[in-house]
Amino acid sequence: MISVYELFIALRHLTSRRRQTIFSVLAVGLAVALLVWSQAMMVGFTDEMYAKTVDRMASVTVEPKPDEDYIHLYHKLTEDIWSIDGVVGVSPVLTGQATFEYKDRNKNVVMQGIQVAAHDSVLHINDDIVKGSFRDIEATQGSVVLGDALAEKLDVDIGDTIDAAFPEANPAALKVVGIYDSGTPLDKTLAITSQSTAQDFFDVANVVNSIIVRVDDREQAQAISERIDAMGYPASSWKETNPEIIQTLKLEGTSNAIILGLIIVIASFGIVSTLFMVVMEKTKEIGMLMAMGASRRSIMTIFVMESGILGLLGAILGVMLGATLAIQMGSYTYEVGEEAMAGITTIPFVVRLQDAVIIVMFTFLLNLIAGIYPASRASKLKPVEAIGRE
Amino acid sequence: MSDEKIIEIRNLTRVYGDGVEIRALDGVDIDIEPGEFLAIVGPSGSGKSTLLHQIGILDTPTSGTILLKGVDITKMSDRERSKTRNRELGFIFQYHHLLPDFNALENVMMPLLIKGVKRSEAKKIALDLLEEVGLSDRIHHRTTQLSGGENQRVAIARALVNNPSIVIGDEPTGNLDSKKSDSIYELLRRLNREHNQTFILVTHDEQMAAKTDRVIRIVDGKVVEDSRDGVPVREI
Repeated sequence: MISVYELFIALRHLTSRRRQTIFSVLAVGLAVALLVWSQAMMVGFTDEMYAKTVDRMASVTVEPKPDEDYIHLYHKLTEDIWSIDGVVGVSPVLTGQATFEYKDRNKNVVMQGIQVAAHDSVLHINDDIVKGSFRDIEATQGSVVLGDALAEKLDVDIGDTIDAAFPEANPAALKVVGIYDSGTPLDKTLAITSQSTAQDFFDVANVVNSIIVRVDDREQAQAISERIDAMGYPASSWKETNPEIIQTLKLEGTSNAIILGLIIVIASFGIVSTLFMVVMEKTKEIGMLMAMGASRRSIMTIFVMESGILGLLGAILGVMLGATLAIQMGSYTYEVGEEAMAGITTIPFVVRLQDAVIIVMFTFLLNLIAGIYPASRASKLKPVEAIGRE
Repeated sequence: MSDEKIIEIRNLTRVYGDGVEIRALDGVDIDIEPGEFLAIVGPSGSGKSTLLHQIGILDTPTSGTILLKGVDITKMSDRERSKTRNRELGFIFQYHHLLPDFNALENVMMPLLIKGVKRSEAKKIALDLLEEVGLSDRIHHRTTQLSGGENQRVAIARALVNNPSIVIGDEPTGNLDSKKSDSIYELLRRLNREHNQTFILVTHDEQMAAKTDRVIRIVDGKVVEDSRDGVPVREI
């Protein structure tokens, strides 16, 4: 336990050499501020990254049973999936390949037959429409919505009619009723049509070959995917289908934290060296405290506390500084170029309380540990030699 | 008769150095009774300070025993040594060694705070002692704002504040002019009478030594004279 007098001496040492105290606190404070600021940017960037990528993809994708090409009873399965807690969108999809031809241009595309309302509940496709409307594909049999890049490639616009063909498919003429821009590479290859149009083209009965699902909490995707798996249909969450996203974000987050953590370590070393100087300077006083009956443990406690207090003050100052800076900068919008950063156009700063608490604890503990070496040197002084003989 | 002794030193030896041996103390035997006011004298390097450090539990002897109130302090654990220094001993050094970050009052309170006495209680006791040494009006001054004599008075108050059974002075007036030195001596003498504590002073000042009750002279680590008011305590 810490005695009152140990704290009394530690605090007095700190207030007596005010300048060293201020510089030590500032050094730790600046390092912590940098970490808090950068963490806020990282979290904001990650959130934005998820919003721009993960939130725009299906949380869970369900496939046909292993030995089947199609999901036959998809109406029943769709209902069953809807009944799972946390599911906010379910869309059965029939996907296949087609060759689109318009005048002298042609292009191999991925053609998807969807139910517009259901598909919008999963992928919010209506947000991406730039011309025309998705609803029109259900109003008009034999119509299609194209990605903007695909439309450009084929040089078509709304109202034009494309010839679609593919081996074993029923050739069809598809009227362009809409153009979308999702900001992803899919814009170059994906054509969307109604489910019945797609079923006619691919010459299949009332079947689909995948069901995509949206859940309200992306971290629950894995659990929900396992429940669907249990219904007999292979399902995989976005984490399984896109492992590289998680990997990238994790890697960046970790290396960032390590580098900034090292900066705090360096700042704490500053405190260690200051503390060593203090121990040298106060050798006689330490000897005298021992003569008065202060135990070695007490001497140790006094100097470890000094280091800890400096660390704690620095951490609190740093969190306030870093959070203020991040919140200030977070209220601005920076144009960073849409294509450069996967469609992210602003740098949002997100200061999380748990980050602040962890950083303060980490810095405090680090400084307690850093203080142990100079403190143990102080506590190992021999009273006679410390007091000196003059 | 041994229960009358506050300190019994037997065959105390302290050897320094690994290569060239220096026998700072060589088989010292001394008995000290409660309330004695005695001086340890000798030329510099004779071992008198070394002896004082052994009694003060600031150092550990190479061999021999020191019984303080019948307990062998040379066998104590580090923790017990600290506790004994705090409860039984008060130190006055040549240089006052006050803590420069604390004022006079806080310096005097410190041994009590280390002991775990409540702050308000410690303050009361410290104020009484500061009055006794004649410094009531300087209690909020720091060491840098006090004269050498004043600092030494603070140090004396600090040495006595825990009501120790033994007060140890290592050249307590060595750094002062003769006038101040005399007044400090008189103060110690008065406190010795009033509190009936044992005072052991190391000094090279023969005149001061002559005024004490008992003189122990050490040369080359051996006791060569031990006399009370000029009469040998025992044959050397």
